[in-house]
Amino acid sequence: MPRVQTEPLSPTDITTTRTLLHEAIPLTGAILSGTYTEGGGGSPFYGSNVKNYTHGQFQSVYDYPYLSSSANHIMDLTFGYDESSTSSGSTSVLNAKKINNYNLMSQVLLGYTGSENITEIFESDLNYADNNNQMKECFFFNFSRLITKDEIRPGNFSLTLGTGSYAAPWGAGGADIGKYFPLGPLLKLQDFSASAASNTGLMDTVGGKAGVLYISGTNGATGIGGTGSYAGLVFYQAGIAVLTASLFTNVTDMLPTSLTDGGGNQNVKALMTGSSISGACDAIRHRIYDLSFNNTTAINSQIIFCRAPHNKFNYSANPTYLSGSKVRVKNISSDSPRAYITTVGLYSSDNQLMAVAKLSEPLMKDPSNELTIRVRLDY
Amino acid sequence: MSLKKFNPNDILLNTIKAHPSSEFFIFDSTVYYNNRPELSGAYSAQVLNVPPGFISLFEYNIDRGTTENTHIYPFIEKDSARASFKTTAASSSEAGVGWDLNEWQKTGAGERLYGSYPLSASITRYYIPTPSGSNPTGEIEYSQIDQKYYALKNRLNFYGALSEHYKVTSSYGNKDEQVLNMISIPSIFYGKNIQTGSVSLKWYFTGSLVGELRDLKQNGELIQVSGAVGDGGSTYDNEVAGVVLYNEGIILLTGSWALNGTSIPLESDGTTSQPKWVYFGAGAQDGVSVLNAGANFCSASFDLSFRGTSETEVITMFAHARRGEVNYSNNPTFLSYGQDKFTLTSSAVYEENANRTVFNTVSSSFMNQSASFEKQVYISQVGIYDEHKNLIGVVSLADPVLKKERDNYTFKIRLDV
Repeated sequence: MPRVQTEPLSPTDITTTRTLLHEAIPLTGAILSGTYTEGGGGSPFYGSNVKNYTHGQFQSVYDYPYLSSSANHIMDLTFGYDESSTSSGSTSVLNAKKINNYNLMSQVLLGYTGSENITEIFESDLNYADNNNQMKECFFFNFSRLITKDEIRPGNFSLTLGTGSYAAPWGAGGADIGKYFPLGPLLKLQDFSASAASNTGLMDTVGGKAGVLYISGTNGATGIGGTGSYAGLVFYQAGIAVLTASLFTNVTDMLPTSLTDGGGNQNVKALMTGSSISGACDAIRHRIYDLSFNNTTAINSQIIFCRAPHNKFNYSANPTYLSGSKVRVKNISSDSPRAYITTVGLYSSDNQLMAVAKLSEPLMKDPSNELTIRVRLDY
Repeated sequence: MSLKKFNPNDILLNTIKAHPSSEFFIFDSTVYYNNRPELSGAYSAQVLNVPPGFISLFEYNIDRGTTENTHIYPFIEKDSARASFKTTAASSSEAGVGWDLNEWQKTGAGERLYGSYPLSASITRYYIPTPSGSNPTGEIEYSQIDQKYYALKNRLNFYGALSEHYKVTSSYGNKDEQVLNMISIPSIFYGKNIQTGSVSLKWYFTGSLVGELRDLKQNGELIQVSGAVGDGGSTYDNEVAGVVLYNEGIILLTGSWALNGTSIPLESDGTTSQPKWVYFGAGAQDGVSVLNAGANFCSASFDLSFRGTSETEVITMFAHARRGEVNYSNNPTFLSYGQDKFTLTSSAVYEENANRTVFNTVSSSFMNQSASFEKQVYISQVGIYDEHKNLIGVVSLADPVLKKERDNYTFKIRLDV
């Protein structure tokens, strides 16, 4: 780029701005459970897009069979309970790991209580002073940063769960599909923090800002603040959703017939005490009908107003500017000088070319006009 | 937490230069990239949701459909920052306005502007029979000028210093008047530039190699190295059939000699021709297919390979935990459980408990026997702070490292930027 001249930038020529880029993330339940050889591959309870580990502390869910290089990590699922839970006990399967999971999550997301070295207990009303609505047994959805980006957008998280039988979690024969609690077996949990009055259901925690997940009624947003409508929490910056297991208290068969707690029980209590963590994750994943949220990426920009005064930038050092020692874009010698601006170069204080901005089309510049070119630098 | 300042010798800046290889195979109007097969999914015809030969920018919408398991898509809300997606919906007339409005103009403040995924790219071939727009009578029809070629003329003459073959007009001919075959390679495939000496073009006829071009001299000239013997193709070995613009990702072929004697349809109107370099890549997003050219178009297949250049800036930092340092932790569990934090508090006095003990984590060699107390910590993370003491990065170790007072440790931290 032939350099003509430079114009110093004053402090008022430079400003910054921030744009929030969002992405809508729909995750159909069929991907989480059912699409990829569910019931095959040697295990009847998870597909080839679900990865379990020998440590057994969580399971990873991908959007495609994870052995494919195309697969994206969607989330990690795990389960845990507080040691004060009635499910906690030496006879419970993987008792220590379930407690550790719970403590790990509460330590990272909520921190410690007062003066004791004891982690806080999740509360679905986010009011930790009253110790009401405690969630001592929780499922944890730890979403991948790939899909949460900077944060989950407050007010858009939605999770629909089936509360029917294990075989038909969202209704018998499809007849109940679309019927939401209390009329049907589908339970829609929503984050209404964006519309909640005076920030109800939003709280700053150790793990960032958190919102309450409410049980939404048939017609949508009927659950805000209603007694018993709390169902869990969503931590926006951490990208973690916490769901209370008590949602499934009335479900008789959370577990498939082949997996019981030894006493023939299949309910959520049997799941908490008699099931492995991966088994509990399989059970909740099996009931996800739909999951969606919006994420947010903050794009910081620097705006530089590059000004071309009337008496400057009217000439070009471009080799093609002259033709036969005459300015190509002038018809007669008495015409005023004229240039066509195609590029703006940004120089550092020691005259090093730092960046180049290109115009989509050349701008005509002569002494009769002044131009201000707005250059935006995203980073 | 111990805070230590990096010495100048503790921070190294390096650039890693890599040369990722790319290979495109073109057959029957389909491009295959790096031998990746077509893969159909449960919800979409292609798992990546882009045609074969295309690269999907973020590889987000894996096996997603339009009605079920729908696509992830981006959106922004229009505000005074004036940000918008680079590609917006086409202009459309607006009732009562009198002129066309584009998506940005039609969207009100606070309303959403939508984008879409996947963003994709692949190689594209442009067959340019009349670059200058000249008609058979020699007159130039300006509306017929090939703008892609014209946009490159300055660059071609610029690279003329490397080889005469670049120049628009030289002793080797006038490109304005030659039949040109331009292959455009998006930069996502090669990065900074195509590596000199790495380009190879192979022309296959019914599966047999009839000619190969390579940039043997590393000066951009594409030289035929292995024309088919017996069909006359080898007569033109060592001839230059085109040039590569390494920085722009453009291959411009002018070689118009026959690589063998059999004619097949190689143009979208069914025009037949012997295999020539100006037909290399036919079918690569150029509209030529079996449907419009003819069944024998399938006899042609092409292979294009090259290596790109990517440069990654790397910061290497050495964080030292020297003997006698970094021996304390602020982790609440570092102290023994159940101790009082303070001995006295009142409205005027706050006195910490000076007798609190550190939990002994030293492992004993004997059962039911505690080991002697030794000051030690397990280092699990290293934090990087800026000059204002803002935490700007965290390094997590795979396993905590046991550090006793007598130990010297140096953590090598690498950051790709």
